[in-house]
Amino acid sequence: MKNKQKFMLQRNVHPNLILLVLLIIILILSIISLGLGAIYITPSEIIQNLIGEGTSSQKFILSNYRIPRIIIAIIVGSGLATAGAILQGILRNPLASPDVIGVTKGAGLAAVIIIVLFPASPIIYLPLAAFIGAAIIAVILMLFVYKKGAQPNTLALVGIALGAICQAGIEYFMIKFPDDVSATLLWLTGSLWARGWDQVYILLPCLILIPLLIGLTSKLDILSLGDDIATGLGERSKFLRYILLGVSVVLIGVCVATVGSIGFIGLIAPHIARRIVGSKFKVLLPASALFGAILLLVADSLGRGLFPPIEIPAGIITAVIGAPYFLYLLRSERKKT
Amino acid sequence: MSGLSLILLLAIMMVLTGCNAPQNHTDTEKKEQTTGEAKESKSKTIKHEMGETVLKNTPKKIVTLELSFVDSLNTLDVNPIGIADDNKKDMITKLVGHDIDYTSVGTREQPSLEVISSLQPDLIIADAERHSAIYKDLQQIAPTIVLKSRESTYQDNLDSFKIIAEALDQKEAAEKRLGEHKEIINEINSKLSLDTNLTVLPAVVRDTSFQAHTTSSYDGELLEQLGLKVAIQDEQPYVEMSLEQLVEINPDVLLLANNEGKLLTDEWKENPLWKDLKAVKNDQIYSVDRDLWTRFRGIISAEAIAKDTLAKLNEK
Repeated sequence: MKNKQKFMLQRNVHPNLILLVLLIIILILSIISLGLGAIYITPSEIIQNLIGEGTSSQKFILSNYRIPRIIIAIIVGSGLATAGAILQGILRNPLASPDVIGVTKGAGLAAVIIIVLFPASPIIYLPLAAFIGAAIIAVILMLFVYKKGAQPNTLALVGIALGAICQAGIEYFMIKFPDDVSATLLWLTGSLWARGWDQVYILLPCLILIPLLIGLTSKLDILSLGDDIATGLGERSKFLRYILLGVSVVLIGVCVATVGSIGFIGLIAPHIARRIVGSKFKVLLPASALFGAILLLVADSLGRGLFPPIEIPAGIITAVIGAPYFLYLLRSERKKT
Repeated sequence: MSGLSLILLLAIMMVLTGCNAPQNHTDTEKKEQTTGEAKESKSKTIKHEMGETVLKNTPKKIVTLELSFVDSLNTLDVNPIGIADDNKKDMITKLVGHDIDYTSVGTREQPSLEVISSLQPDLIIADAERHSAIYKDLQQIAPTIVLKSRESTYQDNLDSFKIIAEALDQKEAAEKRLGEHKEIINEINSKLSLDTNLTVLPAVVRDTSFQAHTTSSYDGELLEQLGLKVAIQDEQPYVEMSLEQLVEINPDVLLLANNEGKLLTDEWKENPLWKDLKAVKNDQIYSVDRDLWTRFRGIISAEAIAKDTLAKLNEK
């Protein structure tokens, strides 16, 4: 319902107003999310805590667990969604997402190797390995497509092939080491459990990368016209595609390294955004980022609040919400044409 | 413009959270410290898998994140206030032997830090494998010791028990109990009538896997202590096996800890190779409790396993 209303709004409302509304929604969701979890904290108690007059145990929970998790959900959600929107733009394929170009699978394989083969290694190795895994796949991907002039189709196909190889590796380790399957699956679905301020610091580069990408958006609009027109308009399309691809891959790598390979956000958020603000990248990218943040924030809050003290990994919730919604989107797209 | 608004959002979030920077239970800690010093000021340092932890008093409110620690505390007559029980209260009842009052802190894989912190424990006992990633978070809540539990051997487990006893100032009681434990194990060892040349193979059966436990697994090592010969001598505690490999090893006795639901062995029973197994021919296949044999681990559980073995193998 809400979507429809906004859909109606799009024609006569300034896009910046929509972005502002989304921002306010995120703020409200953040405050609701602060209360949810194994220990329920009422809104009035939250306000008391924010002005410094709460019980010490609530304050401890809020400042050590809930606040950093909310920040991480917002950054990772917007990071994955921005990267997804850009990939859909440069590949000119609505199905493109961080999964499709194989980067998350590369991170997944590296993480599984660490979980299964080096269970005693220091904690920092896991995100580091995941990031390196993502980077290796990205480098191979770029080398493969370099000669072909980074054509969208080659990119997607090579990405899918690389992803399939990594997936095979992941499955090999899971079959070989059935005792570690639950730990592995947990990482592969992605969860914000026990993520705290340390992970917020790892994510800080995203705070620079996301606005940087959004700054490059006017170029994306030109690229989406096709290489010939883009070149005609004076853009070096191959170079530009490389830069955009590179930055989004780093973004995905950092996000996936901190929370695991949470799926669907990079795919769905840009689609929702496109329905509401249209397909001009200048508004689409920030709107996607905000929708991504909303999605992950909701998924994590639900995962925490549904069956305490057991947590449902955010990745499962994004898939449960995301997959049916995606089907619905596909159906209504078809109706329109 | 729009990039700007995004930065604005993040800035707002930062400000919101900035006034609430990470903080510890310092106030409460200080209070405890002073009251503790008034009573008794013997602080001790406990060495564990991830370093050293200072305990100022004898811990009273303990949270355990693995099942074997519950067994250890039970052996020392202490009830934990919080247990990572995977939401299975009856499993804990089975482990302890009767109902106990505690708060569930979620799964062993992902215990809820929020619930643990709300219990305000004065000691957390965590597993070296599962919880090393959250050691820092736990340490922020309360003094934490990290010990081997998951995939630990029988000897590891006894060592962990000693450390827990030390943390609880029950060193002497623990030594005494360990002595009794050795006697019980030796007694059962002498009562077991099975020919010592016969081999025994404990294994976990799931729907798609048959996982043999070797001499370096918990139950394998315990069976050796009971004077039995475990069929696979290996440094790897668990070995995945096919039916062909099982026939190759051909153990005289099979102790199967079956998972819930469909089992791989149901399929194998249709296979002519299955009937070639010595254990099948001589009717020496026993099913054992999955929780007790492969999940619990601990002094009381080890004794229960030993008695179970005695009862099953001496039947004939």
